[in-house]
Amino acid sequence: MDPAMGMGLVALMGAAATVAGCSEDLESDIGSQSNPNSQVQLAAQVGYPHRIFNKAISGEPPSNAMYCAVGAGVAMVLMSESVMSASPLIAIAIGAFVAALLNGVFSTTSYLGRNASQTRFNQYVYLDVLRNQILSLMGHAYITTFCIVLISYVMWNQNLIGHPFPFPVIALIWGLCVGAIGSSTGDVHYGAEREFQDFKFGSGLNAADSGNITRFAEAGVRSSMDNAWFCSKFGGPVTGIAFGMVVFLDNWRSTAFSGWTAVVVGVVIVLVLVIYNRKVETYARKKYGPFPEYAGDIEA
Amino acid sequence: MSAGGPGGEAVTAETANQIDAKGIGIGLIGIYIAGISGIPYLAFLAGIGAIFATKMGADAVRRVCSYGIGTGVPSIGMLALGMGLISAMFGLAIGKMLGVVFIGPIVGLVLALVIGFVVGTLANKIIKLNIPVMERCLMEIAGAGVLVLTGLSVMIAGSMDFVVISKLVIETGYIAPVFILGALGILHPFNASLGPDETQDRTMVHALSCGAIAMVIGGVCSIAVIGPIAGIISTIIGLAIWYVTFMGFIKLVKRDAGAGYVGTGLLPPGAM
Repeated sequence: MDPAMGMGLVALMGAAATVAGCSEDLESDIGSQSNPNSQVQLAAQVGYPHRIFNKAISGEPPSNAMYCAVGAGVAMVLMSESVMSASPLIAIAIGAFVAALLNGVFSTTSYLGRNASQTRFNQYVYLDVLRNQILSLMGHAYITTFCIVLISYVMWNQNLIGHPFPFPVIALIWGLCVGAIGSSTGDVHYGAEREFQDFKFGSGLNAADSGNITRFAEAGVRSSMDNAWFCSKFGGPVTGIAFGMVVFLDNWRSTAFSGWTAVVVGVVIVLVLVIYNRKVETYARKKYGPFPEYAGDIEA
Repeated sequence: MSAGGPGGEAVTAETANQIDAKGIGIGLIGIYIAGISGIPYLAFLAGIGAIFATKMGADAVRRVCSYGIGTGVPSIGMLALGMGLISAMFGLAIGKMLGVVFIGPIVGLVLALVIGFVVGTLANKIIKLNIPVMERCLMEIAGAGVLVLTGLSVMIAGSMDFVVISKLVIETGYIAPVFILGALGILHPFNASLGPDETQDRTMVHALSCGAIAMVIGGVCSIAVIGPIAGIISTIIGLAIWYVTFMGFIKLVKRDAGAGYVGTGLLPPGAM
């Protein structure tokens, strides 16, 4: 393949991955999936019934793997010659739409199911919460799936990158990857930052504060849209950058270099990132710390 | 106590033996009719078998996770399909090697039960989780995994032959949605109903609806594999089962939530 074409594809995949990472994180924040979910789930039990969407579709990696694998599977059916030889772009769009429908079904059942299972704690099933959030969840899931399936198609197509794995399996792996990055990068912003922003740096968490995350927003009772608003300012974009960098750097090193050189470049990139992260962490601790010295058993 | 429930033995209306009997019985009958008959229009029967196997797996997840495995629910679903995939492919391959294709699903099932027993014993005796139902539940989960994977693969390929399945389902990659939807079908019903007021009938009807979703997507995949008519039959039957079970789930949610099932409103009195 022409090097310029190769770098163009790498750039396209990086851009698609950035969008996918961002929308994936916002989708999970609207639904309070994975990291913040335990807080939302426990809130009613510690006396804080809430109006937050409780979207428990396993962890983020398996659920995104499902959307992407289903999207790629449906797209592949539509593209196959025995069915309708659809154009890839239309096939991927329809596949992502089917995946978004599955997202809607699974989100609905988990919201209804989990809240109905907490009746004794006065946790209501609010149908307007379901109606208000479900379309934004499905919309974000559509964007994520479309971008990931597009990346997988570019990797799989024999005229482009020509990866040996089948198309839906590549999509499954990238789905797992985007879910894992959203869960580890973006959710920290919602799960930790949003809840504890008025706490002193490093002061630890009192168990009695657990359900607070579901209670009040800047104005009135907190809804899932407030969380999306908050997270779209930092958590979502940073997830997008993280996932975009993973896709871009990984494909860049294997496109620009070959053989062992590509492996060495990969190791160098990992080492540089490890050192950089360590620097950022120690800088933050010095700047915003220090942690309070341990002074015996402190009363809770 | 887990994030989910009070911990301890789950309350059941339909016993584990009944659910297992239906899961294994209907699962194997569906797979055999679809696989041996050679009539592509009957391929959907394997999907119906997979739905009942999903229910069996979901019930086992429900019983073992009632002991307080909160965040472990998704992991146990993945474990199920991991054990299931290995066993299913091993069974079908053995059937092909020995030249008796029809022993494949049974060999796979037996192997899955053995793997499940070994994993359960390891978890209970070595890691010392000390959950009384662990061995049995992991055997059921592995058995459900193998039946779901075999059922959906047979439904997509319309054949029980290992060579056909590996060419049409694995090499094309349709195994990916089957794998992940099968796993979510087993783990999602209990995970989505986690909480002290979870009821067995609601979780089980939800398991049937998740199994039906896997059948629908499997049916769509089989349009490209077996042919449009057989694939559309599977898809439409799957959609019908999904609609009925999903509506049943909503009805049970209304029953369980009682007065808490509201259109809108502020937080309940006393909660502000």
